[in-house]
Amino acid sequence: MIAQWLASADSLGPKVTTGIGPLADFGVAASFAGEQAVLGVRGELDRVTAPVLAALFDAVISSGYPSVLLDLQDANSIDAAGLAVTADAASRLVAQGGQLMLRSPLTENARTIDLGWLAGLINQELRGPDEDRLGPEQTTLESLTQTAPRIPPDLKTVTGTLANEDVVHGALRLVVALARATVGGADGASVTLRRFGRLATVAASDATISDMDANQYATGEGPCIDASLQGRWYHAESLENETRWPAFTPRARSLGISAILSSPLLAQGQPMGALNIYSRTAMAFAAKEQGLAAMLATEASRLLSAAHSSASDDQLTDRLQGALRTREVIAEAQGVIMERQGVGENEAFEILRRFSQQSDLSLRARAQDVVDSTRQTELDLGPPEAD
Amino acid sequence: MRPTHGDVLDRSRQDAGLSHGELWLRYFALGGMSTALQLEAFLYGALQPTSHDHNVIAHALNERFVELGGNHPVPYDDDEET
Repeated sequence: MIAQWLASADSLGPKVTTGIGPLADFGVAASFAGEQAVLGVRGELDRVTAPVLAALFDAVISSGYPSVLLDLQDANSIDAAGLAVTADAASRLVAQGGQLMLRSPLTENARTIDLGWLAGLINQELRGPDEDRLGPEQTTLESLTQTAPRIPPDLKTVTGTLANEDVVHGALRLVVALARATVGGADGASVTLRRFGRLATVAASDATISDMDANQYATGEGPCIDASLQGRWYHAESLENETRWPAFTPRARSLGISAILSSPLLAQGQPMGALNIYSRTAMAFAAKEQGLAAMLATEASRLLSAAHSSASDDQLTDRLQGALRTREVIAEAQGVIMERQGVGENEAFEILRRFSQQSDLSLRARAQDVVDSTRQTELDLGPPEAD
Repeated sequence: MRPTHGDVLDRSRQDAGLSHGELWLRYFALGGMSTALQLEAFLYGALQPTSHDHNVIAHALNERFVELGGNHPVPYDDDEET
């Protein structure tokens, strides 16, 4: 349910590329629960590693998450640089009407300094007298996922699967922001997803990038399309010498783009889309940037797999068939009303809708009543023209 | 001119606990003719739905609210003074 990935200290993505650096103990896990982003710091947060946290804060804040929870339970130490980054993020969040919260700073792992005072400081600065959601009182990550904003808890139990898609889209927007903030040379990023049989951009860092993607859908070619459909990565190192996409390439160059890196997103092993990173600089994406892009794409894929598995294709087919049956019944009832009352299709819908609203019966049930009424009395009235 | 429905509709969708896909399926079942992408554009206010489309969306949401024990909180187009 909760998305999670690790951003390594050296931004190389050691899980993907080789060469685990001396900072391998440090990591930040980002996860999302509704409108809250959680950054979990592991290891030493110091002047070497603080910029990584700063980049993540940038990404989270620019993605519009109003509330950020900084989880320092697994942080071994935090120095002045770490504090500066944290305080800076706190003031920016407050300026936007948001808040920064800390979780369980008073743990035995906090070796170097007592983080309690930091919690107090931020508490004072951000939350005033309302302390109940801060510090050690913070509950577990699991309980956070159950408090999606705007949805009362009792509805949650009724609906079962909640707006999972919102969480996924929010997280994909964050992946885009992360890609832009952490991949060297990146001037923009986007996520393409295959939805309802066609490709669409679900997150983009700016309008130029949306245009870039749209140009690919329009011409039917481009690295983003190939990566999305074929499930492998495509790298246009320099569009000046690019020959694979003759219709798309000139459009991209006219928008000032010189390099594109598209990494595939897979849901349960099937190609589902692509993470696209664009640069105005040719040859911008070397092995290091490719590794980071691959890591972000891997994490986005994990998210998609989790979301995808909540509704299997079979279930979807069943539901689509159910929707089709409903649609047919309603169309049939509309035909009956059109014929009986001499009204148009939309007016017939309005009549059914008011029926439904007044009786608190579903529109389908009302439509079924109308259809049944004709079958009992005039069997030869028949449905409207099928074609 | 009708006001922009975008924000209201998408907030209602979230309140109803429906994903974009789930809402589209309900909208489609009620005879809606717009694609899922167009529906999203309506919800965000990027595209203005026709009066009929608006009412189909509103009814899809309202049926969900009725299932949850509510009334018809999403206004229909003819409810408004124009």
